[in-house]
Amino acid sequence: MKIITKRIIKFGLLGLLLFSPELFAHGERALEPFIRMRTIQWYDIQWSKNTVDVNQEIVLSGRFHVAEDWPNAMVKPDSAFLNLAIPTPVLVRTATYINGAILNNSMALKLGGDYDFKLVLKGRVPGRYHIHPMMNLRDIGVIVGPGMWIDVQGVAADFKNPVTTLAGETVDLETYGTANGILWHLVWLGIAALWLLWWLRRPMFIPRYKQTLAGDEDALITPLDRKIGGFGIIGTLVLITASFVHADQKYPESIPLQTGRAEIEPLPMKHDVAVKIKRATYRVVQRSLQLTMEVTNKSDKPVELGELNSATLRFFNPALQRFDSNYPKELAVENGLDVQPSSAISPGATATLTVKATDVAWHNQKLASITKDTDSNFGAMLFFYDNTGERYLASISAPVIPDFGTN
Amino acid sequence: MVSQSTAISRAAEIAKISRTFDFILLIPILLVIIGTYHLSMILTVGDWDFWLDWKDRQWWPIVTPLMGISFPAAIQYGLWKHLRLPIGATVCTVCLLLGMAITRWFAYHLWTNYPINLVLPATLIPGALLLDFVLLTSRSFFVTAILGGMLFAAVFYPANWAIFAPFHQPVEYNGSLMTLADVSGYSYIRPGVPEYLRIIERGVLRTYDTYATPLSAFCAAVLAVPLYALWSYIGKLFSTTRFIDKF
Ligand SMILES: [Cu+2]
Repeated sequence: MKIITKRIIKFGLLGLLLFSPELFAHGERALEPFIRMRTIQWYDIQWSKNTVDVNQEIVLSGRFHVAEDWPNAMVKPDSAFLNLAIPTPVLVRTATYINGAILNNSMALKLGGDYDFKLVLKGRVPGRYHIHPMMNLRDIGVIVGPGMWIDVQGVAADFKNPVTTLAGETVDLETYGTANGILWHLVWLGIAALWLLWWLRRPMFIPRYKQTLAGDEDALITPLDRKIGGFGIIGTLVLITASFVHADQKYPESIPLQTGRAEIEPLPMKHDVAVKIKRATYRVVQRSLQLTMEVTNKSDKPVELGELNSATLRFFNPALQRFDSNYPKELAVENGLDVQPSSAISPGATATLTVKATDVAWHNQKLASITKDTDSNFGAMLFFYDNTGERYLASISAPVIPDFGTN
Repeated sequence: MVSQSTAISRAAEIAKISRTFDFILLIPILLVIIGTYHLSMILTVGDWDFWLDWKDRQWWPIVTPLMGISFPAAIQYGLWKHLRLPIGATVCTVCLLLGMAITRWFAYHLWTNYPINLVLPATLIPGALLLDFVLLTSRSFFVTAILGGMLFAAVFYPANWAIFAPFHQPVEYNGSLMTLADVSGYSYIRPGVPEYLRIIERGVLRTYDTYATPLSAFCAAVLAVPLYALWSYIGKLFSTTRFIDKF
């Protein structure tokens, strides 16, 4: 009984997985913290609007940094696909740009690179949805960016998805080829039904079984049956050939499915602020990441640390007033970053900073368990700003030591 | 006189009961085939049958018939051996199509919003008809394994081309060459099925360029023969009448 219950649960879960692609959509906190912190680091994520009509365009743009300290346990990102965590195709994708270039398929990513992306989408099914940018990484899983609520308005039936073929024909992908496909299914289903009825109209199980048992099975097949079988072989082959030739002549320019991997160079970025982590501790009771770091300013202007972003969770230094109020509330900690000393680092100078990123969000976003990971190096991005507002990025990682608050 | 008419009415009554029994048995059998054959196809062929942009020239025409010959071969054995009914393969593939039609319509289209053309199933019925016809004409499992098995796999791609050819028209999309099937797969976002997962057009058969499809069909045809034999044997094991014979 117990085994049966177990199997029902197992196959039930399997069924759920098979039939609900949206199940994958909200796995944003499913992967271990060290993977989310040290693979794809999302930033500057922006939606062109929060409300979109059916058939109208909406753009999701932003950037991601591919961490230098990519976890050793993970395969390198040779096959990555920029995707969306979305509950079913309520928006359709019309174009993907990476660093300004169009990309229709998967790509290889370079460690340490920064990439700019733009996803052009179109409203399709009305409703209110939580949607995230997402990176599918082969043999790793999905790294999900910050999610936003998007409203799609209008009538679903109005949606059109026109595409023009090289032959100049414009088709609507919503319905194109459906009637033809169903028609051919019905043709074969009809022939099969005739064949089945031919036999099922006669008595089936008991009389036939008895006669077979008695050794008189050959009498169950009439000469006419056999003739039909022979004609059936020829007829079926003729119909298959005819349908194939017909389709081949109707679509002479058919090509095989297209696939390929693209290689796109990362953005040229100068990393003028160098950061070396001296010590990192996570204070479990205070929910606070505390870093001691050596910062070298190689730019020609004084810089200050404005933000720490770890796995899309952002801590802002109140002194710089760079808080982003459009960012999801659960992922933004307005006064979460304490930087000592608070003075700017002069050009060419090296300073030692003590930085505390504190909030219960570490726990809520399931990042606090970094101290229990097999690879307990944490990862984050630091954003420094100079007095003209220019930004300097530094991607950091270091072993993090838990402090259980006994002292 | 009296006794004869009673005998006639009794025979008619038995025939009627036997016929009722036919349908009482038939319906659960069909439901079991729909459920199990369909599940086995989901677990083995999976994405190749679900998605339009996975139906390539190389893997799809190999994987689908080779996995799909299982139930047709097994059920065909039982129905022919014990009932002399040459309909086992057709029954299975019709059941499979019904099961697929239900899930594609409800789970993929109505529930998760994918357009029907993106999740159109392939048909195995033409091959199954040939399998049944060959068995009926040859009355031999050996001939059916060789000739029927080969035909079952070999006709898969040509028989489905009428359904899927329209989606192989070339499109210039965002500056690159794609088929309508590729565009559809790209447009309708599938969070759990990233593009790189598509196992299409990969492998040694590529070297043969335009002959990739016939070569795939040939490979499938050759492999279908031993698979037919294997499943036929499994059909033999399962279609034992040991339990019925006790009555
Ligand atoms: Cu979400």
